[in-house]
This record gives sequence, C-alpha cells and structure tokens, in this order.
Amino acid sequence: MPLQRNSKFLALLACVSAAVAWAPVFAYEPLPATASEVDFSKHVKAFFSNYCYECHSNEKQKADVNLQVFQTAPEMYQQRRFWSAVRDMLEKREMPPSKKPQPTEADRKMLVQFVDQELEKFDCSGEVDPGRVTIRRLNRSEYRNTIRDLVGIEIDAAADLPFDEVGYGFDNIGDVLSLSPMLFEKYLAATEKILSNAIITDEADLIPSFRLSGDALRSLGGENVRLEDEELWGFWREGEAVGERTLASSGEYLFRIQAYGDQAGPEAPKLSVRVDGKELKVIDVAAKENSPQAYEFKAQLDEGTRKFGFAFLNNYNGSGNADPLLNGDRNLFMQFAEIRGPMDGPPPQPPVSHARMIPRKPAPGEEAALTREYLERFATRAFRRPATSNEVERLAGLADLARADGHSFEAGIQVAAAATLVSPQFLFRWELDPGEAESDASRPLTDYELASRLSYFLWSSMPDDELLNLAKEGRLHRSAVMEAQVGRMLADPKSSALVENFGGQWLQVRNFDVTPDPERFPSFDASLRQAMKNETILFFKSIVNEDRSILDFLDADFTFVNERLASHYGIPGISGDTFQRVSLKPETERGGVLGQASILTLTSNPSRTSPVNRGKWILEQILGAPPPPPPPNVPQLDEGKGVDLTASIRERMEQHRQNPDCATCHDKMDPLGFAFERFDATGAWREKDGPFEIDPAGAMPDGRKFNGPKELKEILMGDDRFVQTLAQKLLTFALGRGLEYYDKCAVDAIVEQLKANGYRFSTLIRGVVNSRPFQMRSTIGDQS
Amino acid sequence: MKLKNSIHRRTFLKGMGAAIALPLLESIGPARVFANGAAVKAPTRMAFLFVPNGMNMPEWTPEGEGATFKLPHILKPFEPIQRDILFLSGLTQDKGRANGDGPGDHARSAAAFLTGAQPLKSEGSQIRAGISVDQYVAEHLANKTRFASLEIGIEKGRQSGKCDSGYSCAYSNNISWRNEVTPMTKETNPRLVFERLFGGAVADENNKSILLREKYKKSILDFVLEDANRLSQRVSGNDRQKLDEYLTAVREIELRIDRAERDSAATAMVIAGIEKPTGAPDDMGAHVQMMGDLMVLAFQADVTRVCTFMLANEGSNRSYRQIDVGEGHHELSHHQNDPVKLEKIKRINRFHADQVAYILKKMKSIREADGSSLLDNSMILYGAGISDGNRHNNENLPIIVAGKGGGTLRPGRHIRYPEETPLNNLFLSMMDRMGVHADWLGDSTGRLRGLEA
Repeated sequence: MPLQRNSKFLALLACVSAAVAWAPVFAYEPLPATASEVDFSKHVKAFFSNYCYECHSNEKQKADVNLQVFQTAPEMYQQRRFWSAVRDMLEKREMPPSKKPQPTEADRKMLVQFVDQELEKFDCSGEVDPGRVTIRRLNRSEYRNTIRDLVGIEIDAAADLPFDEVGYGFDNIGDVLSLSPMLFEKYLAATEKILSNAIITDEADLIPSFRLSGDALRSLGGENVRLEDEELWGFWREGEAVGERTLASSGEYLFRIQAYGDQAGPEAPKLSVRVDGKELKVIDVAAKENSPQAYEFKAQLDEGTRKFGFAFLNNYNGSGNADPLLNGDRNLFMQFAEIRGPMDGPPPQPPVSHARMIPRKPAPGEEAALTREYLERFATRAFRRPATSNEVERLAGLADLARADGHSFEAGIQVAAAATLVSPQFLFRWELDPGEAESDASRPLTDYELASRLSYFLWSSMPDDELLNLAKEGRLHRSAVMEAQVGRMLADPKSSALVENFGGQWLQVRNFDVTPDPERFPSFDASLRQAMKNETILFFKSIVNEDRSILDFLDADFTFVNERLASHYGIPGISGDTFQRVSLKPETERGGVLGQASILTLTSNPSRTSPVNRGKWILEQILGAPPPPPPPNVPQLDEGKGVDLTASIRERMEQHRQNPDCATCHDKMDPLGFAFERFDATGAWREKDGPFEIDPAGAMPDGRKFNGPKELKEILMGDDRFVQTLAQKLLTFALGRGLEYYDKCAVDAIVEQLKANGYRFSTLIRGVVNSRPFQMRSTIGDQS
Repeated sequence: MKLKNSIHRRTFLKGMGAAIALPLLESIGPARVFANGAAVKAPTRMAFLFVPNGMNMPEWTPEGEGATFKLPHILKPFEPIQRDILFLSGLTQDKGRANGDGPGDHARSAAAFLTGAQPLKSEGSQIRAGISVDQYVAEHLANKTRFASLEIGIEKGRQSGKCDSGYSCAYSNNISWRNEVTPMTKETNPRLVFERLFGGAVADENNKSILLREKYKKSILDFVLEDANRLSQRVSGNDRQKLDEYLTAVREIELRIDRAERDSAATAMVIAGIEKPTGAPDDMGAHVQMMGDLMVLAFQADVTRVCTFMLANEGSNRSYRQIDVGEGHHELSHHQNDPVKLEKIKRINRFHADQVAYILKKMKSIREADGSSLLDNSMILYGAGISDGNRHNNENLPIIVAGKGGGTLRPGRHIRYPEETPLNNLFLSMMDRMGVHADWLGDSTGRLRGLEA
C-alpha cells in the first residue's frame, strides 16, 4: 500500500538490506528515448523488477513501500504524493541504495521524466478541489494594519511582536504561523498599549500637563540638593530645587508629586511645594525607596511665568543612636512633579479613536444599552462578520463588571475591547464550515469570508466598511461587484501593503539587511542600502499603479533613483534624496529587477559576487525551478585540491563543475549567474573582476546560448515559466497556503488570461481573485 | 546626613555602561530560608548556549584527558574557570545527519540539537521535530517558577525565503521545541526580555490602566477561553491544531499570572535598582553579554530555571567586524581547508567563547543564599550542532558543560567518549540532575557515565 510521505518513510527507504534475493522476471531493455513512448506495463515494470522489487514488492515492503501494486500509468495519478516521492528519490539518487545495482543515467532520467509527464496529466474540466486553507493567525504586518483600520490609531504595537515563521516563501501561511505562550503574552501587552492610547478613561488625561524633574529644576541648596540621575532629585539636607514654567491660563491645577524618603527619626521627610516663594502645601513623604508614592493636591495658579519650588524641611541624622526609633539618616528623593491644568477650563476633545469607539457619553441609566450598542459594532468589525448576540452579551458582561467595580463607562468598554482583541475570533481568520452535514465536497465562501480574503490579499488588513456592507447585503460575490472592488482596492493607497509584503518577499528585499565587506566596498552604507530597497519597491509600485506588463519585471527601460543610488549606478544629473523616475538607455543592462542593486547585492557574499546564488535566485524566484539540492554529505565546494584560489570566480566555478556530482546542478545555476558578473557584490558596474577579465556568456539548461544580461533577459521573457512562477507565488500569497497539484488548473487559467491581456498586472490580480481556490473552499476536513 | 556610599545607587549603576549592571549581589537574592533559619538548598538551573556553523575543531579540542589537559586557543577564555567546566569530546547528534533526507544540514542540525529527533523535511505545512531537553524539563518544573523557560537569541528569525534546502526557517532559527510541532520563539531584544521577566515588579508610576489589573486580565482570559472552547467544537485537522496552540498559550498565561502574584516580592528585591535595558546594542559582543546578564538575572531571581540561548541562528552569515572578519560566518565555514579562512573561523569561535566566559564568570561571582555560587548550582551547556563547518558532520560535536549541577557533577576534566555516543545521553543525565527522570529522550540509548562528582 502506498502511503503518505513522511520523514520516516524517506529514511527507511534509504536503508540497505538484502534478506531476500529477488530474481528479476522481466527481460530488461533500456527505456525509450522520449517519455511519451514509455509503456508502464512494459518498461516501468521491467525497470522496477531489476532495481526495486527486491525490497518493495508484494513479497517484501521495506518502509511499507510496495511498487508492485501498480499495473498501469493512470493509477499513478491517484497516488500522486507517493509517486512524487518516488520520483524525488530517483532524481536525488537516493534510490536504489548505492550498494545495489544502479540503472543507467539515461534510464534514471527517463523514468523521472515519465513520472513528471504522468503527474501532469490532471483533468481540469471537472470539479477541481479548491483546497482548504488552515485558519490564519494575523501576522505582524496584518496585525499592525488591522489595528490601524479597526481602532484608528497609528501605534506600532506590532513592533514588539516577534517575526513570523515563513513557509513557501511567505509569512502569511496558516499552517506555519504558530502561537506560543510568549506571543500570546505579547498580544496582551500590545492590546493594553493600543487601548490605553485609543480610549480615554479619565478625561483629566486630556488636560495638558508638564513635568518638573531632572534638568528642569536647579538647586538652591548646593551639594546637598542635587540631581542623582536623569530625573531623580536627592535632598540630603534642608534645601530647595526650583524651576520656572509659563502657564497659558489661570485656573485650578492638579499637582502630582512622586517621591520617597529614607525614613529615620520620629517623623517622615517633609516636602514643601512653593509657587513664587509662597508655600502651597507641605507633604509628609512616608513612602520608601522600593515603593515610591504619588502625592496629589490641587491649587489655584495664575497665568504667566511661575517659579515652582520644592524644599526639604526636616533633615535628621541619628546615626548610631542606640534607640532604634531614633537611629538612621533621613533624606528625601523626588522623582518628578507633574502639574496638570487648568482643570476647570473648557472640556478638551478626545482623540478620533476614542470617538470612533465611543461616539458619546451615556446619559445616566443608559450605560448598559450603550455598552451593547458600541460593542456590537466594534466586535462585528473586529471579527470581520456580524457579532452574535451571545458574543455581544458576554463582552458587555465584562464591561458591566468593571462598571460595577466603580470604574468608568469608558474603562468598561476598554476591558471588553481588550477581550475582543485577544479573542481567537480576532487573532485568527476563520472560514468555519456551516454546522449541518455537507452535501458537496466544496462550498463557495460566504460574502464575509470573501471580503476578508480580498482585503488581506490586497491590503494586508481588515475589510473596510464598503466591503463589509457589500457582504452584509450579500452582493460582494457577484462578479461585477468583485471586479469593481478589486479596481477600487488596487487604487487605494493601502494596496502598497501588497507591494511591501508580496513584492518584498517574492523579490526578497523586505528583509534586505546585508552588509558587504567594508574593506572592499567602503562606500556602502545604510543610506545606500535603503536606496536600493526603495528602488525595487518603487519599481514594483509603478507596475501596480500603471498596470504595466509583468514582463517589465524582467526588463524595463526605466527605474527609480535618488542621488545616492544614481551615483552608485553612474547615472549623471540626479540630485537630492527624493527618488525620481529615470529612463534607462536601451544598451544598458540595468533594466528590470535582475539589474537592480538590491537583488544583485542580496545574492552576493559580503566580499564577492556569488554567481551560484544569483543563478539559484533566478531559478527559484523567476523560473520556479529550484535546483535539486546537492547530494548528502557533499561539501558546498570541493576540498580545494587542484582549485586555484588565484583564478577568477568563473574559472574556479568551472573547475568545481568538473566534478560530475556537482555539475548536474551547477550547470543549471552558475551560467545564469555569470551573465551578471559585470555587476559587483553591491550591484555597481565593473569592467573587470580585480585582475580578471569578465566573460558574461553562458547557456540555459536546454542549451540556448546568451551573452550577457540583455540576451538572458530576452530568453527569460520568452519563457512561460516566469509568468507561471509569478502566478503560483501570488496565488500562494493570496490563499495563505502552499499550492497543491490540483491548483495547477487555476495557475494555468491565470497564465492564459495574462497571455490574452498583454500580461497586465491587473489581469494577474483578477485571475487570482476569480480563481476557484480563492472563491471556494473544500468541505472535506483534513486529517492531521 | 550621611552620604550613602557618596553616590546614589541608581547613578552608580548607570555609570557601568550599556550592559545591565548587577548590584552587589551577595546581599540580595530570593530569600529562601526555613522557619528555623537554615538556608534552603538553592535550586539547580540549566541552560543551553548554541553557536552555528561548527567550529575550528583542532583549535577547540583540549589536549590530554582527565584532570590534566591543556586548553587550545578557542577555549583559552575558560582557563580561569576550567575547574568549573566539563569538556566533552566524542558526542554525536545523529539526527542532524541526512539519514536519507538529503541536504539541509544547517537547519537539520539546529532542530536536532536539543531534540535528538529527525526533523521532517518541510517548508511549511508540517513542521515536525521533537520535544527538546529544555522543554521536557520546563514542562515538569512548570509550577516551580513564574516562567517555565526562557528562550533568547541574538538574531531575529529571517522573514522571507526558505532557510535551507527545503527546510523551513523554523528549523534553523529555533533550538527549543515545546513539542514536536511547536518551536519556542526566541526573544532577541533585551528590553523586551527584561519587561517580560520583571515587568510586573518594576514600579511604573504611569501605569494606572485598568487592563493591567490582574482581576480584569483574568476575566479577559476567561472570555477568550470560552470563545476558543466554542470554536473547538466546530473545527478539525490543522485548524484544531492551531486552536489547541492558542488554548495552551492562554492557559499558560493564566498560570503565570497566578505565579506572579505569589513571588513578585522576591523578584522585586533582586532587580531593585537595575536599569532597564533600552534595546539591542549594535555590537554583537555587548548584545550577547546583555542577554547573558538577563539570563543570569532570571536564574538569580529564580524566575525560571531553564534557558536556551542562540548566539546566532544556524547558517548565520553575519560578519564580525569587531575582530576584523569581513566575510560572512557561514561563507567562511566552508573553508576548503584554506588556512586563512580557518584562522578567521578560529577568531569567530574565540570571540563567541569570550562572551560565554563572561557569562560563566559572572555566574561564578554570584553568591546564593546558602553560600554556594550560582554557577555551582547550574549546568550550562555550550556548543554547536555541527562539528566541522566544511564537512557538516555531526559526530564529535564541540560541547562543554559548565557548573557543578548543585554538586552532582565533577567538573575540571576533559572526557572523551566512544565514537557515536548520543548527545541525548548527556541530556538524560542532565535531566536527572534537574529531578526530571525519563527512560529516553529522542535517540538516547542510556545515561552518560563519568560525569558524577
């Protein structure tokens, strides 16, 4: 019985043992020269009989693998995962085990091709599985943006959240995003930070205040009254510290003075608070160092410049006194004096975020009803679907509890809102199947679910009111409505999140933090690095905003530079920090992302270029064909024997590739990278690599030759694989899951639409949005 | 008046620079005294300090065995405290090897380092390794301290890109695994570590928010638990797994709030007068020392007894300007036996050892209530999951264990174990000393002999 792929299976498959001698029963002949001529019952069975059945047959199933159960090619498709594992084992030369007889290279490759061919034979005409997305926790940027749109404050509470784990190249994959106790604790802390800023529970907080501490005061007491650190004032003997402030208006002011003392002798340290030399209050500071206390009182003050004074009145030194009550040294410490007012002026305006959640204060007796009204609206937006009456009632219960304890109406809302923001309904995006038994294998998403899919795809944020209203009216799923909404959303500035999060991760510039070797690249600095990143982001934005062809990613006659980057590129006549669009001359090799310094630098080592990394980057990000990894236990580079360390990179790589184990993959990667050797490890143009001449010529794996980036880019632009790769990556990002074999149908359809529409960016977006996996959901629960 | 030591304490601490300065510690420390006045024996702590990309092994391995041995260049910083350290050669982490899974040695070796479990080769949908030794212990000691464990590091997790030949970044960026599917995210910002460990005990005059009050925190947690429980009746498969993670996290925080109430006084005493760090320093050495200080502080205050600390993520390609190494560490580790590269790796290895020695010496200087040192009561493992960076081999790993394990270890020796002795055998033996006994962990085959006092 074929089984699911897991590591144990792979490990066991690699085991070597020969308890049973298997006698081949098929006469062996080499496989045909093309995959279409391969006949399963004849060629494949003969191959297996010679090389595999010994361990994987009806008689013996090492690692629970039996290849003999398969009789015809169509059966392969039904066990796709299994066959894909078999194929990888063959390709990576992990099977047959090295101690066993090996097939010829040609036969091994042909069988791999044949498996690929059979697994591609997927029928897209029927009801294709739309897949099933695991609940997605909001990642950092989604959390930040959602808080911005939900609560209405720009506060970077997400800065304290840890980075999200990445899968399939993106950090929004439901299966991968985890939630540890530490993260939950951080959500709690962020929630507190957000809501204490967003909701004003005490209107007094809105009244302007200032603090007197640290340098705002000066000593009138010489050495014995002095600043102990940035803020704290120490009074070691009687004496005063004073400072001036100008008050805009007269009125009642609230003083809040945080202080503590070294307690000794019969009484506590006395702090006298004075304005313009007149004593307002004497405070007995009974608090000790480990628990300073805030002392409050109110006083009437006049407008104009006032001199505030703080004085220690009763120094005492009873050190060594035999009576423990009299022993010790009394000193006073003041951390700050906060003065707020006027308290009796006109009522101040709360911030927008407050008004949004609490449009007005309740009239007496109205608290309970208004609590429910406000919380229902908030929870509906936070959960991105109508809050149920039970949810509203439970939330309101929290607010009622706080009010019953004597807290304000606003504080009650704050507690309930906090529960909302750490609820699984908010932190995760849910697509719950309806409770009743499903008759179909898949279902269309609800309008609310669609609204969230759209908004998190294009904005990395929650749906706005327009989307939620369309969902409420049940109209969002209509194709004309969706079409219009996608247009509106792309035009919204919030769509820059798509560029940052999708573009930034696809092109790998979002976390661009490489630092080249300063000895070799002394001019490289943080501003150049930022400029490199900006160029790529602005370039991507122009493709979105101008609805350009996605082929422009590969080659374009324009880019964006500021003075710093222009001088790095040798483009004359640009000054200032502001980025401007410049045309690139046709003969330039700079056009498209492959010529941008960001990509060229991030694929380099700190001290030199890495044609391997550049080639690998193109294979992975542009052609979607990551090279098979090197065979196990083989070091990345040869052990140095015969490798001339004084030769050019290209010559050294070519020596490396003389080893056939290395050549199979490096023949695919290195030549692509060599094309860009005229760009150094920071993407600057160079004629020579130190003393060495540069040869930018190479050939594609299929033999097509190119000389330099220009010709390579032409080949890439004519290759469907780029469009296909971009569509796959965007679909992965939009869905928040890795693609499955059945998603091939959606990707193929998107590619066809792009071909028919001049490869326009909006066609790509619409292709994704209109695809079956984006609009539907499998109802068949996954096993795990 | 009397000028207290002529300088106020807070000023004194600030004068000590970016690193968190510890006050004179003998006098402080959680008071753990029996009613009759006898000091309670201090608890045993364990930590695992990890460095990536292997070592320059000839410059790491001590010359000679037993109690007479000579420390080579990299280990020189440990000389003053070598009587407190066990130098262990010959240990193997077999699950860091391919074992049929092909390349990806960096990611695999990190995920296997403390688990001894073969990580599942996957970029995403199924992350699987095994429970790590620290988490096994943490789970069993959970109710003893406010935090079951502490996970810290220097490098943030990479955000984009796959990490290593088909392995998700989760494997290269974590060594601590709560269970086979959940890596423990580490914290790299010293300020956040400090706030997390001691936030509740630091008097902040501005906090009057209702949301910080324990009563409402608990009500909020009750609310979300009910939400989660309702949802759990309707989900299956991977959704359920994610929801279970959420439930576990909320319950753990609930427990933590309870514990915080219990021992906030002791914590407040240890950290009184300590300046809160403001963020990660640019210099890696200062950063490592600062995180080390925090770990020591956490042990000292008995806020936790278990810690993992990644001095860099596995496969890290950072350069080390402060010691004139401009090339990336990973790039260099593929040294092809080039003597220039080997020399630079040696310098990096030494640089790391210098920082670790700083931490260990600090632990040795701290007296506990019973008069022993903090290091005496600890087992601090330091090492790598790869032996030689060029060959990516996982046998004969560079491993040392510092501390006396509360008097259960006899340090000051270099022990060479037979080839292929599982590293996890050492873990089983360390677990015993934490009072957590298991028949096996990962691929262990028994206890490691010869460590005893």
